Amino acid sequence: MSDTGKIINKISSYMPRLGLSALILCLASGIVLVFYYRPMGNVFQNVEEITTLVPYGWFFRQLHYGSGQLFTILMLLHTLDHFLRKRYRIYLFKEWVLLIFSLCLCFFVLFTGFVLKGDKEGFFAGQIFMNILEAIPFIGGSVSKLFIVPGDSFFFLPYLYHCFFLPILIIYLIRDHIREWFPNQRFLLIGTAGLFLYAIFVRPAIDIPPEASVAMIQGPWFFLGVQTLLKFLPVLLAGLIIPGLFVGCLLILPVIKTDSPTRDHRGRIAYVGENGLHYLLVVALCFYGFLTLRAAIWGP
Amino acid sequence: MERRGFIKKGLSWLAYIFGAAALAYPVFLFMSFRKIRKKTVVFHPDEQLAAANFKEGIYLIKKGTDFNALSARCTHLGCTLNFDAVSQQFKCPCHGSLFAISGKWVSGPARKDLMSIPVETEANGDMEVEFEI
Ligand code: HEM
Ligand code: FES
Repeated sequence: MSDTGKIINKISSYMPRLGLSALILCLASGIVLVFYYRPMGNVFQNVEEITTLVPYGWFFRQLHYGSGQLFTILMLLHTLDHFLRKRYRIYLFKEWVLLIFSLCLCFFVLFTGFVLKGDKEGFFAGQIFMNILEAIPFIGGSVSKLFIVPGDSFFFLPYLYHCFFLPILIIYLIRDHIREWFPNQRFLLIGTAGLFLYAIFVRPAIDIPPEASVAMIQGPWFFLGVQTLLKFLPVLLAGLIIPGLFVGCLLILPVIKTDSPTRDHRGRIAYVGENGLHYLLVVALCFYGFLTLRAAIWGP
Repeated sequence: MERRGFIKKGLSWLAYIFGAAALAYPVFLFMSFRKIRKKTVVFHPDEQLAAANFKEGIYLIKKGTDFNALSARCTHLGCTLNFDAVSQQFKCPCHGSLFAISGKWVSGPARKDLMSIPVETEANGDMEVEFEI
């Protein structure tokens, strides 16, 4: 194997282990935050108190934020690595579906975390999420209430999902996929040291008070592309159908896996189908990356 | 024999599906129930001076001696609108919809006009706006 090949292989085996260290730190710091965080009443003030009043609150908040982001980003890169190398071929359909579903749940945890901040961005993100769900024909009104409701308990359901349901579900779903729950100490140490330094030295972004008047509000980084699409396309299409189609196509990849452009007619069709879908997804990813970058630089 | 097996399997699947639905239905109804609540916002006389006065999700609009109230919720996806005193328009910070001071949609993805809400004048000069959330 060439040197670059070896390096790439090393990186792709290190990523998930470092990710697991980040997850452990994220869960630990999340449990610390829960002791002061209250999802009812003035949530923004509560979060500001964590940052400015509670001893080391700023540290745990930033540690939780950094480790949560790092974990999800590493899981995304890990999945991308498997996808680009077409390694979904080695998975059973069921396994692949559960793993992609878990990745989606990771983003959902990140999103609910963004809402839990309780500042203007978080509140609007929750509001938009609720309204997109409500736009589903017939059942939207009921479905949205399973995730978020307007009024005093706006943050309560996202809180339950973020702190309890989703982390437990994610760990349950990936339990067989993880070979070693406690990554070897080197990774845990490097991850911890890196994230501690990050939490100590990197100042968090300033939270915008809910009553402030701000000309433009940005969603979380991974939804900047969707935010742009929502400007130009109908809500259902931009908010649910397009993301749903993307995930759906990703899910069915292992169904039509083929090893080579084989002998018979059906084999050839499957080969073309798989490759076609693979490259379609690559193009869609590049386009989404472009939208995200554009929104990050010039605003959504 | 094979056919009988197939029918049996089909029937047991049906029983499972009905059983699951019978359980899921009340659970779903319970989980998605929410009591509609009413909220009242009161604008005191010193909060009625500008052309558009904002309080707790409501804009009280003053036109001469007349008042009317508009919901500050963008009709696109529910962000709270800002009032731009220069252009006399409402602007949405999320996806850029614009509305006239009358509540009429001007541009952007929202399409629908803002919800207008009745205003009640109290004897002490307060303006009361009651709406459902
Ligand atoms: C997969 C696991 C998790 C991820 C990726 C994650 C990620 C995040 C993120 C990105 C935020 C927003 C932080 C900010 O912008 O300041 C957040 C907030 C929060 N998380 Fe988590 N979290 C996870 C698990 C947990 C768990 C298990 C708990 C509690 C038991 C928890 C409790 C909290 C609390 C209370 C907040 C609000 C306080 C704040 O905004 O700093 N999280 N989370
Ligand atoms: S929420 Fe106002 S334009 Fe989308």
